[in-house]
Amino acid sequence: MAEPKDPAPTRDTLSRRTFLKSAGGVAAGGMLTSQLAAEPEATPLKATAGRTLAGDVTIELDLNGRKHEVTVEPRTTLLSALRHRIEPPHTGTKEVCDQGNCGACTVIVDGRPAYACMLLAVDLVGRKLRTVEGLGSVENLSPVQAAFCEHDALMCGFCTPGFVVATTACLERRPDADLATIKRELSGNLCRCGTYPFIFDAAETARAAMAPKKGGK
Amino acid sequence: MRARSEPAWKPKKDLTVLNRDIPRVDGPEKVTGAAKYTHDIRLPRMVYARFWIHPYPRLNLTKVDVAPALKVKGVVYVKALKEAGEDVRYQGADAAIAVVAAETPEAAEDGLRAMIIEAEELYPPMVTAEQALDESSPKIGRGGKNVNVREERGDEEAANIALDTVDVLIEESYSLPVQHHVCLETHGSVVDYRGGDEATVYTSIQNVSGTNASAARALELDADKVNVITHHMGGGFGSKFGIGIEGSTACRIAKELGRPVHLMLTRGDEFLMGGNRSGSQQTIVGGASKDGRLVALVAKADRFGGTGGGAFAGLPYIYKVENSFFESRSIYTATDSSRAMRAPGHPQASFGMESMVDELAFAVGIDPLTFRKQNLEDPVYHRQLDRVAKEIGWDAHPNKTEPGAVDGTRQVGIGFAISQWGSRSRPGSQCEVRIEPDGRITSTTGTQDLGTGSRTYVAAIVAEEFGLEVGDVTARIGESAFPTSAGSGGSVTTGCSAPAIKDAAHNAREAFEARIAPMLDAEPGQLVWRGGEVISAQDPQKSLTWKQACAALGSEPLSAMGEWQEHLRSQGVHGAQAAKVEVDTVTGELKVLKMVFIQDCGLVLNRLAARSQVNGGQIQALSYGLLEARVHDPDLGLMLTDNLDDYKIAGVQEIPEMISIMDDDDDRLAVMGMAEANCIPGHGAIANALFNACGLRLRDLPLTADKIIMGLSDRS
Ligand code: FES
Ligand code: FES
Repeated sequence: MAEPKDPAPTRDTLSRRTFLKSAGGVAAGGMLTSQLAAEPEATPLKATAGRTLAGDVTIELDLNGRKHEVTVEPRTTLLSALRHRIEPPHTGTKEVCDQGNCGACTVIVDGRPAYACMLLAVDLVGRKLRTVEGLGSVENLSPVQAAFCEHDALMCGFCTPGFVVATTACLERRPDADLATIKRELSGNLCRCGTYPFIFDAAETARAAMAPKKGGK
Repeated sequence: MRARSEPAWKPKKDLTVLNRDIPRVDGPEKVTGAAKYTHDIRLPRMVYARFWIHPYPRLNLTKVDVAPALKVKGVVYVKALKEAGEDVRYQGADAAIAVVAAETPEAAEDGLRAMIIEAEELYPPMVTAEQALDESSPKIGRGGKNVNVREERGDEEAANIALDTVDVLIEESYSLPVQHHVCLETHGSVVDYRGGDEATVYTSIQNVSGTNASAARALELDADKVNVITHHMGGGFGSKFGIGIEGSTACRIAKELGRPVHLMLTRGDEFLMGGNRSGSQQTIVGGASKDGRLVALVAKADRFGGTGGGAFAGLPYIYKVENSFFESRSIYTATDSSRAMRAPGHPQASFGMESMVDELAFAVGIDPLTFRKQNLEDPVYHRQLDRVAKEIGWDAHPNKTEPGAVDGTRQVGIGFAISQWGSRSRPGSQCEVRIEPDGRITSTTGTQDLGTGSRTYVAAIVAEEFGLEVGDVTARIGESAFPTSAGSGGSVTTGCSAPAIKDAAHNAREAFEARIAPMLDAEPGQLVWRGGEVISAQDPQKSLTWKQACAALGSEPLSAMGEWQEHLRSQGVHGAQAAKVEVDTVTGELKVLKMVFIQDCGLVLNRLAARSQVNGGQIQALSYGLLEARVHDPDLGLMLTDNLDDYKIAGVQEIPEMISIMDDDDDRLAVMGMAEANCIPGHGAIANALFNACGLRLRDLPLTADKIIMGLSDRS
């Protein structure tokens, strides 16, 4: 079972969960209540006060150390922005449940792991975002990525970017994390192929590789 | 021209690449997010399509008005798949009422919300066995029946007479819920058609070579003008053999719009229409003699496969029983059809059989390991059971013939179970090996990699042949335009494709040797390929590097085809499982502490990937045993578990210490698939371990804390 991650990196941001709540079930129950939504055109939101946004807005995201201009709607999740709006598309971050159950969409926001499907893109202006594409490349794997390959901590690989990012976020914040801590930090991620035992091995190898060298220069 | 000699696997001691730990060749792409799955395909002017799926199983549609969706910003296409007056007959694909395509996924969702679809719900929803078996219910199943007898074997009268003679007789019922595949990548396709007479269909499918015909039909194009591509896929587990309504609909939209179409099921739709493992309800009467012989067994098993027939492997399962009778029926409900799922029918039969065997063992007072071996003829199972018993610590375990007590403490128990799988393969698969004068070498076949690691052995078998490293060979798989390969079902992939790859490599080597042997003053067949060099067997001073040898080809690359060769593969996998659990006899919390599984599979191509598969099989069985169950509301007809919050699968915290062992006493020098036997016995072994810990026998999966605590309070 996956345990939910903190959906919002800080308290002053509006998470998708609270957004859905305040939108009063209409979005969540859309399929069942489609008769009620017969209105032909989605009513454009009107700007009323300070932070209220409507229609397409162009924002700038700080993604993997680069500024990206991207046009989103207020409801566009970070996951959808990454996968469908940003050029070139950042499809390494996977969509599996789109509701905070599985961790396949894990990204790093200001150093902390978060579910990209539970964040609104417009809330992330000015924050430092990192995705799996920003950690390393095929020619130059990060220590976590290299350890995943070495230990076969992947099978189909669809959950893998999420686990790589979550493991990275854990070890960067807690370089001396023991296995119990690593497991707790990875508890928000699901893998159907059953790579968990080798992910644990990979995380421990990566921790050793990332450890600051003792008594060095 | 046929090769002069027959290809043969080298003895294990001579292998330098195969039968070792090989990190998978596509690992770097997958860990960096560079690997493109069907979900990730992005094409110019591509539109996103979504289905409008009604959640109720049986309906008479009264209004289907899709036109309002066309007025929604971003929507470019709508189509009703059913009309007012038509019925929806079952939950899932038949409840796809309409489809929409739009510039963004969000706009497609808006389009769905704008449609007006009204229907009268038909009662009862027919989602439970009780509803199906009720005399007054409508007949919705195959042949106008809700129940079909599928199989009968053995002599019921003789078995019943034998049951009268036994020393110990047990009659019990065992049940398993419907399980979902939960591929993390949902079903779907991205169809690249932009006019003209050619198309590319990216699809998440485990049958690449066999799919271009159906895609071409939906596109109304010639099959040889359609290339089906699955370079990477996020799991299949048996559920992805055809493009389905989602694929054919994407093809039709693309054909009409002349634009690429992305149609992947949402997670909710995936639960409703992506297939499942049939549930099972079994009544078993078993009898044993005092000295621990299985004397007689009468078993009746119902399969719950929705509109499909379901699967059940048959009883007795593996164990030798002197007299037996088995009957199985399909019970049809108005729910999504079962599909093949990793070892179809076996996890169900294994649970019933292993539970009954365990009950009889304790009833006659013989420890469950000894009892099992007494009733197994194949010596492979004896050595495998002994091995897992050793690894799990059975010798030092106190509860051999009596379970532990319910005394308010945490109790530890150990359980066993075994499994089998055929892994039969068949002719038809092909492979091409191509060597370029500049030293590049590729191995190309139309197989697919579901996560099993097949891409890696497509390269590794060729590397072994030429004394190269795996990274020197490029594996090209997952296109229907490539040499044909079998669909991945029933663990046939390795048995079908590895012999063809080996044959192609062998043929390429012989052709290569004919060209370069004179340069080394040697005869073809008298060359040794080792460490990136080709060396004369007679005069080791004479050698060429790989690059020099390739350069000798001149300007023309060398290409050789290979075909499936029966003698390179074998069949028949055996496996044994041990599980150790801890149960809190106050709270009912059940924790699996350790799982050990051993299996044989002839020549192991990649030991690392093989252990990954065994881990994965054990974890899926643990997940089925502890957590998974599809649940319907019997009155509302709704599936209550159509998401990954309510449908639980095993996560990090459920994972015990795991040991996955390849049985090296298996001396068959031939290959076979190996990914099914390991997902069969785990949940049975865990249930047996629960009994061994505290004397509570649960016969109804999953083994949740509420059932355990109720069971424990009944006992005390
Ligand atoms: S896709 Fe975001 S948690 Fe599953
Ligand atoms: S590797 Fe397939 S879901 Fe994790």
